[in-house]
Amino acid sequence: MNVSNFDKNMSAVAFAEAGEFETARGMLHNETAQRGNASQPARGAAPLRKKKPYLPAIGFGLVSISLYVILFSNEQLVTNTFTMGGWYTVLPVGGAFLFSFIHGAFASNLLNVLGLEAKK
Amino acid sequence: MYRKLLFMLLLTLISLPLASAALAGGGDGPPKDMLKGIITQVQPEAHSITFEKDGTKEIVTLILPAAMKAEDVRLNKKVLVSLDKHAGEGVIKDISIMFMDMTLTRIITLLVVGLIGGLLSGFIGSGGAFVLTPAMMSLGVPGAVAVASNMCHKFPKAMVGAYKRYKYGQADIKLGLVMAATAIIGVQIGIKMQKYILNHFGNAGSNLYVSFVFMVVLVLVGGYVLYDAYKLAKGKGEATVSKLALRLQAINLPPMMHFKVAKVTISAWVTIPVGLLTGMLAATIAVGGFIGVPGMIYVVGASAVVASATELIIAFVMGAWGSIQWGLSGLIDIRLTLLILAGSLIGVQLGALGTTYVKDYMIKIVMASTMLIVAVSRGAKVPGYLADLDLIPVLQSQTTAALEQISFWALVTALGSAALIITIAMTKGMLQAKHEREAQQLAHVVTNG
Repeated sequence: MNVSNFDKNMSAVAFAEAGEFETARGMLHNETAQRGNASQPARGAAPLRKKKPYLPAIGFGLVSISLYVILFSNEQLVTNTFTMGGWYTVLPVGGAFLFSFIHGAFASNLLNVLGLEAKK
Repeated sequence: MYRKLLFMLLLTLISLPLASAALAGGGDGPPKDMLKGIITQVQPEAHSITFEKDGTKEIVTLILPAAMKAEDVRLNKKVLVSLDKHAGEGVIKDISIMFMDMTLTRIITLLVVGLIGGLLSGFIGSGGAFVLTPAMMSLGVPGAVAVASNMCHKFPKAMVGAYKRYKYGQADIKLGLVMAATAIIGVQIGIKMQKYILNHFGNAGSNLYVSFVFMVVLVLVGGYVLYDAYKLAKGKGEATVSKLALRLQAINLPPMMHFKVAKVTISAWVTIPVGLLTGMLAATIAVGGFIGVPGMIYVVGASAVVASATELIIAFVMGAWGSIQWGLSGLIDIRLTLLILAGSLIGVQLGALGTTYVKDYMIKIVMASTMLIVAVSRGAKVPGYLADLDLIPVLQSQTTAALEQISFWALVTALGSAALIITIAMTKGMLQAKHEREAQQLAHVVTNG
């Protein structure tokens, strides 16, 4: 019997509706794999919805917020030490680097969670 | 291999000035006639203060200016004292508290300005700095601290933006590094010129020179970019390489350089002046990108997308260099830096992904409109400087206040209008992309089903 893509997609939907997500995903995935090129989605196959990075967004967000809280609760100490000049320059410059990695990762994941992604 | 080499190069670039200046005990960016430290005592009878210098703990006695009341001086807070060299040895011109108290309004202002500044930066490669420094100063931050803190926020932001746009295949690392290296030399020349003007024509002369350069460059270059973008928008055509760039690319003067992402092969003798001018302008008006990006588009021959992405690499290298210089003098208020970063790291990534949805000329439109409105802001300051130089009669205080207001609000307008254009263009692009995707899926279902 010749099963068309449309039929396959429909049966995957039926499985998904019945709560069998794994089977549905498997059916769709198998088809993509069979075509031998996993990077290019198969023609006609329903696109797999990418999982949104909720966990990394929350994780990096929490670390970022904690860093900000630590900074502002020790405001006096931080501002005085960071402006000593000379080799102490490492502190503000390194600090800016550290925050940019953590907060930058948070921002990147946040945008993904919000569905804002670059055009493919 | 390539990445390793790049990393090593950047590391050397960053560590060299750090080591040399740390050993020498100071950088050459920040002003010299400024003392940093704590006022430990006030002597009202002598109208003087006891001042403990930061770092060396040296104690000096300084004389308060006649206009300043002894009871207004705040003790045991880190302050910046600028000296009045013309009034005599150890006479204070002005005292400003280094670290302002953070109120909720200030925090929110910094977050919002950071977010929009970042958006602009991610989209056109530069921007944000021209409004962030005045915005901080209007919140009560001393000028030098505002410049330093802004500089320190610029390089991590540019790094994140450059990384994103490199991933989208838009940034030309080689072009960026070549431009940055020459721009650093340009900055040194720019500083020398500034100092010469300052010594010969004083503060007002220097301000007038800065404003004049700012306006001429912004109006001419911004006007041309706008004209070009208008032509492209009207013709709905794709951007073509400028005639000047094509002619320059034809010059076969070794060493020839090939830039893969920009798809350009051009003599190093063409890129060097563009880099030098970018640096000189950065030293003069603090926004080198306003010449760097148009330079890469019209002289080197890169597209607006590649030029604006590559500008972020230049901004990263130059920002890191500048931050170390200012950091060595201990002028970075890390709280300000990180509050702006909180917004701008989101903004810069949003702006970067926005470029993938718009046509090339959209970047030119945003850039040109920003440049032209910023020119108005600077232009409003010119009468004041002319009056300071006795070239025109003294302005009335109302006029001065009104001009200051115009200048500040023009900056806000520049930022606001740019953000608006970007948001609209991006939303349109995203909706269009969504419709195309849906139409495609539907077509597949119909043909296969």
